[in-house]
Amino acid sequence: MTYTFRAGPDRTVQADLEQAVAQLLVQLFGEMIELLGPTESSAKPTTADPLAVELGLDDLGAEQPSVLPQDPALARLFPNAYPEDEQASAEFRRYTESDLRSGKRDRIRRALETLGTGQGGKFDMDEEQAQCWLGALNDLRLVLGARFGLSDDGQEPGGDLAPEDPMQVLVPAYYYLGYLQESLIEALPR
Amino acid sequence: MSSAPAELEQPEVADADPLEAADRPWTTVVWNDPVNLMSYVTYVFQTYFGYPRSKAEKLMMDVHQRGKASVSTGSREEMERDVSAMHGYGLWATLQHD
Repeated sequence: MTYTFRAGPDRTVQADLEQAVAQLLVQLFGEMIELLGPTESSAKPTTADPLAVELGLDDLGAEQPSVLPQDPALARLFPNAYPEDEQASAEFRRYTESDLRSGKRDRIRRALETLGTGQGGKFDMDEEQAQCWLGALNDLRLVLGARFGLSDDGQEPGGDLAPEDPMQVLVPAYYYLGYLQESLIEALPR
Repeated sequence: MSSAPAELEQPEVADADPLEAADRPWTTVVWNDPVNLMSYVTYVFQTYFGYPRSKAEKLMMDVHQRGKASVSTGSREEMERDVSAMHGYGLWATLQHD
């Protein structure tokens, strides 16, 4: 019996991925981490100026995001929480977006740990790791969907891309990732 | 958080009942999108909210067919937590105060 994901004993999930799939995911997950931004360390102050610390100005470099990201893929991942209230949306974003970004990066890293260098093959995951995989796959599909310009149910994925658009090569991957995610959901314990 | 105290300072305004405003719950609304799988949305409603499968599936179908569904209600603080969690899962969620 072949499978991609299936339920294992004690709420685990067993995976068996072909090399081509593992390689594709290593590449796309890597690009996702870049898209989601640098690590939190970019926010730390470079010098500890005592006066700045005393005045509470030492974390001025750690400005938190307050506006909807310009990249449509990031705008989809981090939408405005208050559709009709810009100020409340900005406030919400200031205290949630950085954590959401690092949470999404961490999930992708956990998924990457299971993929190694992309040689494919069998591996087992506990429930928490499988959930990281699930979230990472979903975020990846959301980003691809945004790159294809998908905005409503009737659109065919990739149908709006120009024939020469380099994103065309990822249309079959998008469909496959949907199958992969579906298979993982069925394998996950409830 | 911010709306109730503001109204409490002006009790003389005829149509602003401060108690009612404070009690009025906030709602987490999840919107339809063309990417999220129906099975995934159901899984999220089951695992995050702890809803039974039948309720999770009904809410998912509301999102899919009506374009949106109210998935939880409570204080503004609680709903901000839920909306943020939905964003973590990749669902398109917003807060609403009817």
